[in-house]
Amino acid sequence: MQIKRSMEMIKQMDWLLFGAMAALAVVSVFFVYSASYRPPPQPMPGFYKMQMMWFTVGLSLYLVVALVDYRLICQWATIWYAIALGLLLLVLIDGIKVYGARRWLGWHGFGIQPAETAKLATLIALSYYLFHRTRESRREFSIVWVALAMMGAPFVLIMLEPDLGSAVVLIPICFGLMFVAGVRMKHLLMAAAAGVVLAAIGLPIMWKLKEHRAGQRNYQQDRITVFLHPDFDPRGAGWNRNQSVIAVGSGGLTGKGYLQGTQSLLGYLPRSVTPNDFLFSVIAEEQGFVGSLVVIGLYAVLLFSGLRIAANARDRLGMLLATGVVVMLFFHIFINVGMTIGLMPVTGVPLPLLSYGGSFVLASMTALGLLQNVWIHRRIY
Amino acid sequence: MIISAPFREHNPRLRAVGTIIALGLALLLVALWRVQVTHGEHYDNKQEAQSLRRIRIPAARGEIVDRNGVVLANNRPSYDIAIYLDRFSKKVDVVRAVQTRLSALGAELGMDPMLKDDVVRAHYEERRPLPLPVWRDLRPESVAAFAERASTLPGADLIVMPVRQYPQGSLAAHLLGYVNKTQDGDNEDIDNFYYYQPDSVGQQGVEKACDEYLRGSPGGRTIRVTPAGTVANDLGEKQAEHGGRVTLTIDVRLQRIVEDALAATKLPAGKELRGAAVVLDVRTGEVLALASVPSFDPNIFNPATPAPTIEAVMNNPSSPMLNRAIGGRYPPGSTFKPITLLAGLESGAISPQDTVVCTGSIQIGNWPRPFRCSNHSGHGPIDAYNAIAESCDVWFYKEGLKTGPEAITRMAGEFGLGQPTGFDVGHEQWGFVPTPAWKWARHREKWLDGNTAQLSIGQSFLLVTPMQMACVAATFANRGTCLHPYVVKQIQASNGQVVHEGQPDVRGHLSANPEQLEVVRRAMLGAVHDPRGTAGRAAVKGLSIAGKTGTAEYDTKRGRLNCGWFIGFAPYDQPQVAVAILIEDAVSGGQTAAPVAGKIFAQMFGRSAEDKGVAELEVYAD
Repeated sequence: MQIKRSMEMIKQMDWLLFGAMAALAVVSVFFVYSASYRPPPQPMPGFYKMQMMWFTVGLSLYLVVALVDYRLICQWATIWYAIALGLLLLVLIDGIKVYGARRWLGWHGFGIQPAETAKLATLIALSYYLFHRTRESRREFSIVWVALAMMGAPFVLIMLEPDLGSAVVLIPICFGLMFVAGVRMKHLLMAAAAGVVLAAIGLPIMWKLKEHRAGQRNYQQDRITVFLHPDFDPRGAGWNRNQSVIAVGSGGLTGKGYLQGTQSLLGYLPRSVTPNDFLFSVIAEEQGFVGSLVVIGLYAVLLFSGLRIAANARDRLGMLLATGVVVMLFFHIFINVGMTIGLMPVTGVPLPLLSYGGSFVLASMTALGLLQNVWIHRRIY
Repeated sequence: MIISAPFREHNPRLRAVGTIIALGLALLLVALWRVQVTHGEHYDNKQEAQSLRRIRIPAARGEIVDRNGVVLANNRPSYDIAIYLDRFSKKVDVVRAVQTRLSALGAELGMDPMLKDDVVRAHYEERRPLPLPVWRDLRPESVAAFAERASTLPGADLIVMPVRQYPQGSLAAHLLGYVNKTQDGDNEDIDNFYYYQPDSVGQQGVEKACDEYLRGSPGGRTIRVTPAGTVANDLGEKQAEHGGRVTLTIDVRLQRIVEDALAATKLPAGKELRGAAVVLDVRTGEVLALASVPSFDPNIFNPATPAPTIEAVMNNPSSPMLNRAIGGRYPPGSTFKPITLLAGLESGAISPQDTVVCTGSIQIGNWPRPFRCSNHSGHGPIDAYNAIAESCDVWFYKEGLKTGPEAITRMAGEFGLGQPTGFDVGHEQWGFVPTPAWKWARHREKWLDGNTAQLSIGQSFLLVTPMQMACVAATFANRGTCLHPYVVKQIQASNGQVVHEGQPDVRGHLSANPEQLEVVRRAMLGAVHDPRGTAGRAAVKGLSIAGKTGTAEYDTKRGRLNCGWFIGFAPYDQPQVAVAILIEDAVSGGQTAAPVAGKIFAQMFGRSAEDKGVAELEVYAD
């Protein structure tokens, strides 16, 4: 019975959304291969195999998340949120230190990034909270405070890792949800203005403190400087940004061909970060503007399918969930692609479905599963 | 389970989110178009500039051969063991790692590594993709030892580098010159290549004079490098074009005869042999042989030679690197007398029949001491013919005064003294012909009769090179036709095309008439063949040689020396060759220089039983 119903529901899936996701997954495996390619006799790193495994695991997660009614999932929102905060605390206490930041929780050789789970949990919690406010209470300013506080807790914990990129992603999710939930524009603008002022004062102070404590210049600050002045320290802080722009630009209209991207092959794009943060640079270098267009096109399918699902959701909760997922994905895409061409500062914001990495692949697929879920359950079974 | 009403309301804010996303994606596409398509080429160039490196590959230097094709200079392979530094990671102390590696290699091969730390560091920083030679020019057994173990010695490689070789050793060293490597090429070339591997550059002689032809044109290799500077792959190579072939007018066999004769000069104990010899083909101006002693071996100028060996040659007080034939300036002494005589005859001031009674010395003006003759007891009554043959100074003092300095210096100028001969190889000295005007301008002193008397016998500030005197002899041989000497017979580019051909080049004719010239020539014949002639030691049985000896006093760093001269030509009637011999520290021209010329003439014309080989010199056999 259960299985039959599940099959029924799978048939009801938004297959366009699924197709775009599958296509991006295939592209991901090919270009993770290319980005980590070493010519023989050097051993070929197994990143692409790992990525395939993550997609396989992700697919089961995707189906589970898609089929269990989202309203059921959201009833547990408080628990998800509590678990996510717990993991964020745990990573600060017992996280694995990589390049001076504690972002990983290790477990039998596998690591997860609690920041990724926190994004999803916060998204669900905020949606659930905003869904439960009445039409009148949504017009009060207090709702903004509560929503910002719900976002603020994981935001601060993630900033402490530190992981500026992941933390910042929470902001558009929160504001996007409040926006579509009908919070008054005046209140949103006030909150935004307060946030900008806070950041303008807070960040430099934080950087100064860190600089004072670490005795060296803060890399986050350097990244902003590089963004504003691309020629600042081209062999140091500006290296990744400049090499990425060269990679993308030298791809031209049609690219250099698969596995012909010299920027990643020769290591001008650092091997340690290329499969994650600069995978788009590899695609753009090897496939040119045509490749970029295809990737952006697939994302467009993904995002607008998501918005269609939001518009067709059976209730406000579904609409909020779908919109949150769309905003989250869009923000990742815009920051990451923008970063590869110097439009955005370099932050470790990965590209959904394409970037190498288990936590983010799973998080992205869970988010897309939620979208599917809202679509499937737009009718009452 | 939450039950809520179906939600399908129209939400303008959702539409706003959609618009923002659409605009965001469009912005990304526009930015990507700008970077990839509008400025794609710019970034492509940037990418190439940072990862492509061109390496200059020097061309093999062209050969130098003698007139019969005997090789005088070519290239031989030098087997070097080199290591590739790009296999060393930047993370370790590269210099230490390399030196450790070298010690291990050296122990394995039984050789001491001799690379300085700063050499290793400089190579690592600036020329990482290129091999760094460690042991150069290995002996065959070392090459074999390396080859046996090569597979167990990663990072080390046997490379073959061309090394300039002079198969005849020091033979004609001053003519050939030598090569060395210098870093400075022309700037354009350095800009074109990221890794500039210099050519060998000719430093003297033919190597320098014909450098542009011998060098050939360099090839290039393009490589792609990683950010660490290691080679990622090879993108292609343009073959270098080897240099042209230079054929000289000299004949190796004759050159050897001349060098041997010069080396066998008989000198009293304690005198060091320094001198030069030039043999010209009077009909063309070709230099058939040119020698200068002491000499050097141009083979030492190769990267494997320890520096002290080269410095010892460079700093030798006897200046073995100096080509005395064109770079040494000496007073011509009595070898100038034929010019004085011809000047007098041509100006009409004197006649061949003028007879002077030589008492061994003569007082001229109020000169502080009398002018002495080479024969202190005097020649007695003597005419022009005998004054040349027996080299009487008193006759020339008197007749020179009659002729006057203007006529003498003008005639010296017609012979090319005080001017370059136009010899095509090497840095030539011009010599010097003093005039009354010069003496006034330089010393604010009037030209005295004593100066004229000294000038008449080839002293008094007069300076010449052996090459100039060989040309003087050739001009007498040619009955007044003066040719530029040259040694480059032909230059052939690597494609076989002849790019230069040495041609007889007449620089002028003497103003004296044939009868006047014949008087002087006959007197020079007498100097060799007359029983009382001073050049009798140059005589060869069965060969008519005209010549003149000279013994000139001059002051040097080493004190007052006698330089001994012989100039001459043969055969008298149909002259073929002219010779000039100079010995810096001689007993006299007749005793020291004339026998050298005699030996050369004898062997050149096949009149010597002991040297049959030279009888084959078809050109000179009469």
